[in-house]
Parts: sequence; C-alpha cells; structure tokens
Amino acid sequence: MQAFIALFLVSHRMAVLAPADIVILALYFGLVVFIGFYAKGKANTSEDFFLAGREMTAWIAGLSFVSANLGSLELMGWAGASYQYGILAAHWYWIGAIPAMLFLGIVMMPFYYISKTHSVPGYLQLRFGEGARGLAAISFGVMTILMSGVNMYAMAVVMQTILGWNITFSIWVGAATVALYVMLGGLRSAIINEVLQFVLIWAGAAMVPILGLVEAGGWTKLKAQIAVNMGSGDYMHMWKTLGHFKDNPMGVHWTGIVFGLGFVISFGYWTTDFLVVQRVLSANNLRAAKMAPIIGSIFKMAVPLIVIVPGLLALAVLKNPDGTLMHLVPADIAKVTGQHSYDDVLPLMLIRYCGPGLLGLGITALVAGFMSGMAGNVSAFSTVWTYDIYGAFINKKASDKHYVAMGRWSTVIGMLVSIGTAYLVMNAASIMDYVQALFSFFVAPLFGTVILGMLWKRATHWGGFLGLLAGTMASVGMFLWVHTNAHALRYIAMSADAQPMAENLYRALWSWLICVGVTVVVSYMTKPVPIEQLGGLVYGATPIPDDGAKTLWQKPIFWAIVVIVVFFVLNLIFW
Amino acid sequence: MEHHEHKADPTEISIWFFCGILVLAYGLVLLVTGLAEFHTPPPNEVLLPWLQPLHPTLWWGLLMTVLGGIYTVRFRPRRS
Repeated sequence: MQAFIALFLVSHRMAVLAPADIVILALYFGLVVFIGFYAKGKANTSEDFFLAGREMTAWIAGLSFVSANLGSLELMGWAGASYQYGILAAHWYWIGAIPAMLFLGIVMMPFYYISKTHSVPGYLQLRFGEGARGLAAISFGVMTILMSGVNMYAMAVVMQTILGWNITFSIWVGAATVALYVMLGGLRSAIINEVLQFVLIWAGAAMVPILGLVEAGGWTKLKAQIAVNMGSGDYMHMWKTLGHFKDNPMGVHWTGIVFGLGFVISFGYWTTDFLVVQRVLSANNLRAAKMAPIIGSIFKMAVPLIVIVPGLLALAVLKNPDGTLMHLVPADIAKVTGQHSYDDVLPLMLIRYCGPGLLGLGITALVAGFMSGMAGNVSAFSTVWTYDIYGAFINKKASDKHYVAMGRWSTVIGMLVSIGTAYLVMNAASIMDYVQALFSFFVAPLFGTVILGMLWKRATHWGGFLGLLAGTMASVGMFLWVHTNAHALRYIAMSADAQPMAENLYRALWSWLICVGVTVVVSYMTKPVPIEQLGGLVYGATPIPDDGAKTLWQKPIFWAIVVIVVFFVLNLIFW
Repeated sequence: MEHHEHKADPTEISIWFFCGILVLAYGLVLLVTGLAEFHTPPPNEVLLPWLQPLHPTLWWGLLMTVLGGIYTVRFRPRRS
C-alpha cells in the first residue's frame, strides 16, 4: 500500500517496471528492429524506399495514415486537453478530422494519385512551378525535423516522469531505433511499424476507458459526477455551449470550430500535410488510395474513446492518497508546485488501473506512439529532401540508386539534427510551444494554394506562389502580434472574451482567406496556364479515371456517406 | 488512364502476421502474469478493491492470446 501511495507522491518517478513490463517493452523493440532488417531487402528502388513500392492495400494505407498522426504528443496532449476543457476536445477528432479525411479520399486523392507525384511539394511543382515547390519543400523539411526533435524530447520527459529514466538515454535509444528501421526499410518499414503501433496503442490504452467507466458506474453517472466535481455541466456538451466565447471552458465560438478548425486547419492538415498524404500515396491502386482515408476516418472517429474519455474520467475519479479530489494544473505551475500537470492524465490513469504487465503494455503504447510520430516525420523529411530539394535544386540527374542512398543518408542526418533540436528544446522548453506553432503557419495557406490549384483552372504560377507566401507571412505576423500584445487576440478572434485556443482557429482562417485572396487577385493579373498543361492536375481539365469499383460495397463514395452519417449522429448524441 | 494495380510479392510476410505474433506474445505474458496475480493482487488492485474480482490482466491477456493466435495462424508465412 505504501509503495503504491509513493507512486503518486514521488513526482520524478510515478512507477517502477516489473519483469513482465520489461519483457513487453523488450519484445516491442526487438520486433521493430527486425521489421527494419526484413524490409531492407524490399527497398531497392526509389519507389520502394519512398513509396513502399505503391503496394499497400487500402486497410494498411488507411491504418498507417491515421497512425502517423496518432503520436504520443497527440495522445497525452489531448487527454490533458479533455481534462482541461471537457468533451470539447473531441472536436479535434471529429469535425477537426472526419470531413477532411473524406474530402481527401473522394475529391483530392485522384489528383495526387494520377499525377504520379511522389510528394505534396511535387504536386505544387507540377501545378505552380518550382517557386511554390521550393517554398513548400523547405518549410516542410525544416518543420518535420523540428517536430521530430520535439517528439523525441517529449518522449524523454515522459519516460523520466513515469519511470525515472535518464533523458539522454531515452533520446538516443528512441532516435537510434527509429533511424535504424526507417533507414533500412524506408516507408515500407515505417508503415509496417505504424500499423503495429496502432494495434499496440489500442491494446495498451483501451483498459483505461473500460475500467474507468466501470469505476464511474457508466456514462450517465460519469456526467453527473463531473457536474458535481466541477460545479458545471458545461464539460460534457460539444455544441450547446459554443454560442458565446465565455459560455464554455475553452473560450471559443462555434464559428471558430466550424470554419477555423473544421474547414481550414483540418482540411489543411489532412489533405496537404505530406506526413499523412505520403501513407495514402503508397496504396496499390486508385480505389485503395480513395478508400484508405475513409477507412482511416472510421478509426479516427473511435480514438476519443482512448484519448478523450480518460481525461473526462480523471475529472470524476482521480483522487489524492488522502481521498480528496486531485487537481491537475498547467505545466508551468506544476513545475513550481510539484503537482501533476494536465499532460500527466493518461499516465496517471494507466497507473491507476493497470498492474504489472498491463502497465508495461500501456507504457509500450506510449513509446510506440512517440516512435510512430518520429518515424512519420523523418520518413516524410527524407522523401521531400531527396525529391523536392536535393533532386530538384542540387543534383537533378543522379541515378535511382543514388537517390535511394540519399534517402538513407538523409534519414540518419535528419535524425541527428532532430536530436540536436531535442537538446535545444531541453535547454529552453518554451521553444517546444513555438515549434508546434510554427508548424501551423504553413498548413492553412498551403491548403488554400493546393485546393485552388486542384479546383480552379485560372490559378497561375505567380498566383499560387505569392498566395502561399502572403498567407504564410500573414500567419507568422498574427502570431507575433498576439505574442507581443495579448490584446491583439480580440481583433483576430473578433471578441474580447476569446481565450488563447481561439487564436489558433481564427489565425488559420484569416491566413487561408489571405492566401486565397492573393492567389485569386494575382492570377487574374497574370497570364493563364495553357489548358493542355493542366491535364491530370485540375478538375475540369482532367477526365477522372474509373477506380474499378463494381458493386455498391466497393464504392468509396458509399462508405464516405456511411461515415458522414455516423459523424452527424455522434455530434447529435453528444450535442 | 487505365486502372493500374501494383501487386505485392506473394512470398512476403504479411503485416497482419507481425501484428498477430506480437499480440500473441503479449497475450501470453499477460496471461501468465494474470494467473500469478490471481491470489496475490498487485498494489493498485489492493488500493482499488473493486478491481480485484475483475482480474483485468488475466482477461485482457486471454483476449489478446486468442486474437493474436488467430491472426498468427491465419496470416502465417507460406511457401507458394
């Protein structure tokens, strides 16, 4: 009993691994490295290395697509957000993902797939020329490496917090393992491991909501308990409290959720972020490429069960050793007071319900999530570096073998730079927030450029390039404005009651509008691209090929409709 | 454009086999741990007495063993 109480009192180590936990963790590391060596024999050409030979079925591409996004930063961050903001956090999994994933599958995938591009910057080159490609490739390359480093550091901190592991040990073991399997087997190895990691994340995390709901006495009693503990019923409504910024714990408005998150951020991330799109490009035919995001969306819709529900359960059941309700606090306060931070919700709940063996499985799931985040970033970086920077601007006429070698080297070098980023973040933790904000600068305007490129024949090269540049600069400008003058938020979010979360939503919306506006104006002022150069790239200039579906069950559009109906029903249930 | 399909090498090991073998191995570890804990519950189950009769490690281990076993057998590598 004393040992267990100590788990909660000793802030620098929450748990100690039992032999069964260590066996589970060791089996995982052994298998992922084996997969790297196994996939090496099948990564001989650039198509094999960077696009897994385009041999993946819809299920595998779909699971990998959703798994690449399901890193542990995501798992732990949104579990913490659901503790902080209630069920509103589920918007980032439903309206913030599902419509965009379906749009990618049904509308955009045919263009990515039939243009035979190897990357999203590659599509921009075909549609808008080298300027837009260079801008997108360099910004994406820098951001993926930084994000990989942030992931690495976050994993090391979690391992230190939960198990007391040395930060340097965690960084180097995690980085070396990921670098080894991605360098050896390329995207095929990353995809096999991502599917494995997806299964593992569910196996390791599912016990928390199951046992938590048993403890809480079911969903209805959970809602009632949270209302008692928090003194408000606002934590359990997804839409009811979004009529005004001050009516909900997040300080947002429904327009920000629908247009900022549901349209711009979500469509920007899921349809133009090459980290996820690369997984779908590995599909073995057009129908599989269309079905992969739809299959991914079904699993994405279920993720709140293992991410949002644990945060909500913590509001109801998490207690201090003396029986009083435990209050989690923001990370900066936690450092001073020694309390647990919001991000500790998932580990705390794992320790609460999982004894030896199950705890090891849960910890392995977190490690798997971090590694899938790192592998996703580094494999996407190596592709964009090799095709869109090195192959496009430095060495245009090398052999295929040379590009595969470059892919392997760039994986290792990318990982070493990421390790440098991890140490940089370690010495100045606030950089972590800035790096994550940086990533958001490019996503919203890039979506404006890609969507106009695909749907509007009149968009010109200069329009695309200047629109992307203007949107990105506007996003950076708004970020700096709010961070040097907090009152600026009222202008960006159009309300004095807006909270920081609203900034991300409205900044994305404005930067997208600016990108689209500049692209349209500049396009009308510049010479149109001849229609014959737009074949395979733009709606109206491209015959959409038959995807081979014969029956209703094989048609991607049928499954997209099923998913969107379920999506609406879920939103109504949790209204 | 014609409908174009890339075929995977039929001799390669299925991704589902890798998933099956890992889930099976984990299931067996949990099953053994769950059996060992049947009469000597771990500290968290002592602290939360309602957890003890549920034996989550044992049942989760059994479920993973069965599912992992099915996937391992169904997708085991075969010589063509």
